[in-house]
Formats: sequence, C-alpha cells, structure tokens
Amino acid sequence: MKQLQIKMGNTISKNNIMGSVKKVQSVFGLIILLIIASFVCVKNGKNLFLDWRNIMNVLRAVSENGIIAVGMTMVILLGGIDLSVGSVLGLVGTGSAALMMNNHFGFVPTIIIGLGIGCVYGLFNGVVITKMKMQPFLVTLASMSMARGIARIWSNGAGIPLSYGDGLAPVQFEYLQIRIGGLIPVPAIIFVAVAIIFSIVLNRTKFGRQIYAIGGNERAAFLAGIRVHRIKIFVFMICATLSALSGMIHAAQVSQGGPNDGIGYELNAVAAVCIGGTSLAGGKGTIAGTVIGAVILGLLDNIMGLNGVNSNLQLIVKGLILILAVFLQADKQRD
Amino acid sequence: MKKSILGLAILLVVSMFSTGCSTAATATKSTVPDVSETNSESVTEDTSAASQTETKDKFVIGMAQCNLGEPWRVAMNDQIALAAKDYPMFEIVYSDAAQDNSKQIADIENFIQMDVDLIITSPNESKPLTNVIKKAYDAGIPVILLDRKIEGDSYTQFIGADNVLMGLEAGKYVAETLLPDGGKVLEIKGLEGTSGGIDRDKGFREGIASNPKVEIIAVSNADWLREKAITIAEEMLQANEEVDLIITLNDPMTEGAYIAAKNMGREKDIMFVGFDALPTPDGGIKSVMEGRMSLTLVYPTGGKEAIESAYALLVEGKTLEKNITLGTELITPENAEDAYIRYGGE
Repeated sequence: MKQLQIKMGNTISKNNIMGSVKKVQSVFGLIILLIIASFVCVKNGKNLFLDWRNIMNVLRAVSENGIIAVGMTMVILLGGIDLSVGSVLGLVGTGSAALMMNNHFGFVPTIIIGLGIGCVYGLFNGVVITKMKMQPFLVTLASMSMARGIARIWSNGAGIPLSYGDGLAPVQFEYLQIRIGGLIPVPAIIFVAVAIIFSIVLNRTKFGRQIYAIGGNERAAFLAGIRVHRIKIFVFMICATLSALSGMIHAAQVSQGGPNDGIGYELNAVAAVCIGGTSLAGGKGTIAGTVIGAVILGLLDNIMGLNGVNSNLQLIVKGLILILAVFLQADKQRD
Repeated sequence: MKKSILGLAILLVVSMFSTGCSTAATATKSTVPDVSETNSESVTEDTSAASQTETKDKFVIGMAQCNLGEPWRVAMNDQIALAAKDYPMFEIVYSDAAQDNSKQIADIENFIQMDVDLIITSPNESKPLTNVIKKAYDAGIPVILLDRKIEGDSYTQFIGADNVLMGLEAGKYVAETLLPDGGKVLEIKGLEGTSGGIDRDKGFREGIASNPKVEIIAVSNADWLREKAITIAEEMLQANEEVDLIITLNDPMTEGAYIAAKNMGREKDIMFVGFDALPTPDGGIKSVMEGRMSLTLVYPTGGKEAIESAYALLVEGKTLEKNITLGTELITPENAEDAYIRYGGE
C-alpha cells in the first residue's frame, strides 16, 4: 500500500495552499482573462464587465455546464468519458416538464424522479462499461443516442412549455431559475454547492482517493484491493445524476422541456474540464480547475459578446483558447 | 511558466483588440449625447423607453439572431446591414445563438448589459425566450421581433409575413394547379417549436382541403436544415413507393429533398415545393428557374423594415404599430426569371 502511495504521490492532494495553487494552474489564465475583461469591456465610460449584474449573468450562464462538468471531471479522472450528458440533460428536462404539466406531479416527486432517471442512466452506463468490458466512449456514445430518442418519444418531438400555478407545474420548480434579491441566480448557487461537495468528496474521502488511484494506474489499484468496477459504476451514476440536475435547472431557465436541448453540451463540459487542467488520460485533475475552466469559457463568451465580436470569429477564438490552455498546462504534468 | 503565461496574455489581447475592441473604442468617442439640441420638443415614444429626452447622434442596435446556419437568416442579417448603411447614426451589433435557446438568452442579457438602444431579434423558440425579452422590454429597451414571436405582448413591434396565408396559397396552388387530379404528398416541417412552421403547416392543410384527392401520406421534421432534410427525405422516399409531390416548409429543406430524390433516381416523378424564395444563387427563385422546384413563395425577411422602424422610433420619436404584416408572392416557372431580377438577384 505504501509503495502504491509513493507511485501516486503527485495525485494525492496536498492540504496546503501552495500545493493547491500549483495543482490548479488554470487560475492564472482566469486572472489574466479577468484583467483583460475589466479593461476591454468599457463603453461610454461605463465598465460593462465589472458590474454585479454582468458577473451574475456570467455565473448563471456557466452553471448548467459547470454542474455537468463537475460530474464529467470525476469520470475523466477515472480515465473514462461520458458523452451522454447532453442527452440526459434533454431527457430529464423533458421528462420533468412532462411529469409536471401532463401528469400533474408535485415539486418533490418530480425532482426525485428526475434525479432518479439520472441515477438509473448512470447505472446503465457504468454496468455496460464494466461488466460488458466496453470502452466508455463507445457506450456513452450509444446511450447518448438512446436518451435523445427516449426524450423525443416522451414529448412527441415537441417542447413542453412550463406554466406555473394551479393545475399546472408547481411554483417551487420556478425557483430553480430565479435570482435571489434580484441578483444572485439560484443555478449559480447550486453550481457552487455541487462543486464544493464533490471537491470535498474527491479530496477528503477514501472514495475520492480511490478514484485518483484508478485513474492513475487501474491495474495497480485493482491489485491493491480497490473495487474498481463498483467505483466506476458509482462515478458514472454521479455524472448522469448531475446531468439530470442540470437538465431540470435548464428546463426551469428556458421555461420548457425541450427534447432537443443539450445537443453538444458534452463538448462544452469536456472543454471546461480540460481547460481546468484535468488530463484526459485520467488520474490528474481537480474540481476547482473545472470550475475555473467553466468560468473561463463563460468569460470568453461574455467578453466577446459585450464587444460585439463576429460570432464566427468567436468560434475560432474559443477553439484556439482551448488548445492553448491545454497546451500550457500539459508540459507541467509529470511524465 | 512565465513565458507561457505571457504568450497566453498576448494572444488574448491581440484577438480582443483586432476585432471587437476597435469598434467599441470608436463608439465611445462619438456617443456623447448632443445636449445642445432642442430638449423641449416632447417625444412621443413607446411608453417604456422613458429615458430618451435628449437627441443622440449615435444609436447602438443589438441584433440577436437565432441561427445563422440558415441561409434565410444570413439574408436577414445582410438586409439589415444593407438598410443600416443609409442611416450612419446606427451601429449594429450582431450575435448568433446557433439554435441554442440558452445561448440566445445569454446574448440578449449581454445586450441589456451593453444598454443598447434597441434590440432586433428572431427568437429561437417562443417560450424559452419570452422571459429575457420581457426583461429587456421592461427595462426600457424597445424590442422588434422578426419572423418569430414570443408569448404575450412584451415587445414593441412584430414584423413578419403572414405564414398562415403563405401556407394557404401554397396549398391552393398544389390542390388546383399542381395536383388537380389528386396525389400523394410528403411533408417535411421545420423546427417544431417555431411559430412560422406551425403557421405554414396549418395554412397548407387548409389550402389543400378543397381537393380531397390530395393526401399527405407522411410527415417529418428536418429543423429547417438542408443536410438534415436529405437524410429525412431519403427515409420517407424509402418508406413510400408512390410519391407525387414533396413539400417542405423552407427552400433549403426542399433542395435537400431534391438531392435525396435524385440519389434514388426519382426526381423526375416528383414535384417539389418550398418557401422563402431568396434571390440568391443558392436560393429558391434560382431553384425554380433551374427546374428543380415547381413553386416557392417569397418570405420577406423584414430586415429593411426593422431598420426603418428603428429610425422612426429612435430618431423621429414616433410610436410604432404593434404588428407589420409583410406580403408574399408565388414564384413559379412562369415568373421566376423576372422575379429574380425584381428582388435584386445578380
């Protein structure tokens, strides 16, 4: 066991601040972007960026991706990937809207069933990957398509608009997208809470250490007695459940359950994870990095949007930033 | 590490300053309100734009497009840009949501943050965009909706052609001229949640009702996209041996269906109908001229009218009508060549 710990030395979290900062180098990129944003987004003498409403807008816009990305971080730490997250978002968004509008379910049952669908979905992903010994890329690619199909069948292809009140959807569901005090968006609060919770799980629990171990060297982890299959299944369940949570927040924010929503969201999640410094090979990365990665993506959109940058150019810039961010962090990684 | 961070910083700064920033910089210089003008003249504006008591000499208009993947919307943006050339006091800022409701919500939030003088938008879907547009409207920013509506009436003006009427005209033409003895029809619709698609479909079905021998035997969706329509049409043609006419709710999808039919060698046996009739080389009028389509209907984008409304509202201080309905025209092989020139095609 000791030998294993020496081999995995770098991946086990250091509890001091310098160690944490060294691990989360994406924070430098974030600081640079923040500085640039503060100078560049000034119009009529008004700083468009350094304004509470704008900061809250950005946090709101990154929350859905951020929540998914937290789950995706854990999957990628294992050395896997989950491509079905966008479809699960669409499925649970649609399903929860259907349950509330068509079947008149209350708030709590809807949330429970919504998260439950995520759990079951993740269980499916995890079991097929481990027991049938198939690549996560392949399995989640397939389940991505399946979830999309289920979503469309559930809603007959059209979006299910959400209206609140008696005989309609429960008003508490709308709270998922309000701004507290007119300023702080609930989705952002949920995002921060999710990030903190799973950061603690990864850094302070045996479960978390085992995830890093499996990602670092799966065979060694197995030989050391770690129940690899069980942990993998758990992690895929967590990822899908977080996507489900994001799906319900999304439905509340766009006031409809859309079976076509979430297309491409898996790519945004992976981008956030990678910009945050997590290695696609597994075994190295942090939730904090992912949060920063998600915020960086949101900042890019915000800076370019506030400056009216041509939308086609925005796509190019985002791609270049992704490559740059990953490249700058890659040569710091061991081996 | 220091070198690479410097590299990142340089890249970002260069990309920022080479694109958006230069326009932002010039805007700051010339947007100082011209206070020396007559402030006493009472300006009758839309009631929620309460702060416009001084005459400005520069206005920023935010154009939030829902999907520049559609050629018709590229034409809409182009027509807005062209119309704005006549009004040098207008600066137009564009955004594209690539069919993602969440992105369009964020785009409009940015425009609110930028405190634009007016927003022109085509909402991706009605319900999802209603709240954010209402937020802009209630905050005093006039909103002109083009082609697609939101729920409720928290907007200044809607400009669009009458899609129900267009569908009706298409249906009547099919029932009376193209398939007078009846026939089997495949229908390919656009993105489900869009008001234009719902209206055209409704109108079409009313239009063909006069000829009970015209039968819609299969319906599907291709989200307004040409590539998607190729696949969808292939499936529908595979499943249906006898097809006399394919109608899709926009020209790109009809072209896609044509390609699918051609790949199966069946394009000569089928008639093709679409909507939009853009006077561009890849547009519907050309398709009719070149014999691929039997009918398309002009769907004006309203871009020019939107800029004219913006001028009337922001500069002249007039109140705008809530609804402007634009007309349409049937384009058939008889008038296609002439129409192409009339609508400004080269």
